[in-house]
Amino acid sequence: MQLCVEARAVARSSCLIALCFCIVFVHGCRRANETLSDLKLTHEVSPQPPRVGQVRVTLGLRDSSGKPVTRAGLSIEGYMTHPGMKPIAASVVESEPGRYVSVIDISMAGDWVFIVHIQLPGRVSMDRQFEIKGVLPA
Amino acid sequence: MFQPHNSFDLLRVPIVGTLLRHKHSRTLLQIPLFLISLAMILHGLFGPQLAPQNLATTYTWVHFRGALVFVLLLAGNFFCLACPFMLVRNLARKFFRPVRNWPRSLRNKWLSLGLFVTLLFVYEWLDLWSSPWWTAWLIVAYFAGALLIDAVFKHATFCKFVCPIGQFNFVASTASPLEVAVRDHSVCTACATKDCIRGVREPAAPLVVIQRGCELALFQPRKVGNVDCTFCLDCVQACPHDNVGIMSRVPAGELTTDPMRSGLGIFSRRKDLAALVVVFTFGALLNAFGMVSPVYALESWVARVLGVSREFPVLGFVFGLFLVVEPLLLIGVAAWLTRVWGGSREAIVAVAVRYSYVLAPLGFGIWLAHYGFHFLTGLYTIVPVTLGALGMQPHWGTPGLAPNVVQVVEFGFVVLGLFGSLLVGYSIAMTEKAEHPSRIFTVWALVVMIMAAGAIWLMSQPMEMRAVSLGVG
Repeated sequence: MQLCVEARAVARSSCLIALCFCIVFVHGCRRANETLSDLKLTHEVSPQPPRVGQVRVTLGLRDSSGKPVTRAGLSIEGYMTHPGMKPIAASVVESEPGRYVSVIDISMAGDWVFIVHIQLPGRVSMDRQFEIKGVLPA
Repeated sequence: MFQPHNSFDLLRVPIVGTLLRHKHSRTLLQIPLFLISLAMILHGLFGPQLAPQNLATTYTWVHFRGALVFVLLLAGNFFCLACPFMLVRNLARKFFRPVRNWPRSLRNKWLSLGLFVTLLFVYEWLDLWSSPWWTAWLIVAYFAGALLIDAVFKHATFCKFVCPIGQFNFVASTASPLEVAVRDHSVCTACATKDCIRGVREPAAPLVVIQRGCELALFQPRKVGNVDCTFCLDCVQACPHDNVGIMSRVPAGELTTDPMRSGLGIFSRRKDLAALVVVFTFGALLNAFGMVSPVYALESWVARVLGVSREFPVLGFVFGLFLVVEPLLLIGVAAWLTRVWGGSREAIVAVAVRYSYVLAPLGFGIWLAHYGFHFLTGLYTIVPVTLGALGMQPHWGTPGLAPNVVQVVEFGFVVLGLFGSLLVGYSIAMTEKAEHPSRIFTVWALVVMIMAAGAIWLMSQPMEMRAVSLGVG
């Protein structure tokens, strides 16, 4: 009987703690930015195939009518697909209207996922994602 | 059996010993891991699906695995002690009492061995390390499996016969410096109740168990080593004479002799256990091979030869090569040489089974090197990932130790494992009733040296962290 009471007490406290955890983490899981579906981001990578070291990424940014989007503030963050790695960051400059260039120093062979943070003048910021797969050793 | 007369006993250490001996010590250790598991599941399912930003993938594949092997190396099977799956199972057992016994035909390691191989396969096939969603479901599957199996079957069926992580821990813990063992065997000889295995019963109602004995059928006075011991400390709680401790011993010493072991029988007659050790060791090489460049060349070649473009059959071929063909060849030839050159009078299968245990320390060394690499190079990523999960701005500083520094540590672990395997091989060979024990040792020393050389070569390769079809199609 004593055992049963103890078991229920343990079960009750565990459920309560679990519930608190759920609330904290579901809150933490909210996405920070909304994406705009009418914006098109293209990317080109050179050299091909990409190797460890400096890789040049050219990004094309156009609106739904195909018009180049100029004077946007872009930055790039790169992650390996394996956890436990520090992301790399790179700045992006506009080379011509709607075309943006970044030189990224890739530190390890394998698959990379890049998040492009886009800040449009007078509009909300958004994130777009692209992958560079199979980066070869230097 | 292997602890010296004046062994160190962790349970006699002030504070730590008191805490571990406390009736609810296991629950207290399980609750934090349960909450962390819950957070991992939620974040894996609903959080960012980029593995380096997610709790499920980062904690599981970087921190949990690394901490697990380091605790096994430095202490013992304490992760099984704190297993969160058992917390849920124990709570469920307050309401549902299982009545069935695990089928006799499954009371061995074959099923768990199959699940261990399946887990290794699925890890590569679904790129589990890069998928928070799949990792979360894997954790859910573990909880569900433990709950379901132990809701239907009595005793610690899930731990002993099913759990692949448990089997990994059992084999690795043969090299641990601590084991749950009897303090004074003469006390056990005089003991009339045998509560360590039977459990403590209600005096007025002998069918009512008020403190469990060992659910894994390990009778303390005849228990040898760490295999099948989850460090649950039920025997410590149950012993009326306070005669069970967590004692120091010679790591891997339990592999050098072949006595009758409670709950396990005789190692040299356990083909299933020997196969588990073989898969544990060759699986360590295979798992590390999956992270380096040459695997893509091999997979592309296999895909061309087989004329397939899907990853499943290619991976199946590679797994067959590493976990079946290579062990059969290497161990088969060594066992044959043990007979014809070493003069062993045992049958070839018996020789192979007996000497398979030599591989365990090396296998553990390779796992240590691999998991230790991810753990040490990604050690501090736990901070920004946790901050991100809590909705705060993560600050990525130094992720961990430099890879070139960790590489030296990796080599050290492989050499340590090799050294352990050589000592175990020597001990077994020298007690062999054969014409040329030193020749037998030479044969098995060559086997482990070939494997260690393979591991060193793997650790020297440039790493490629890929999560796509591995060079196929």
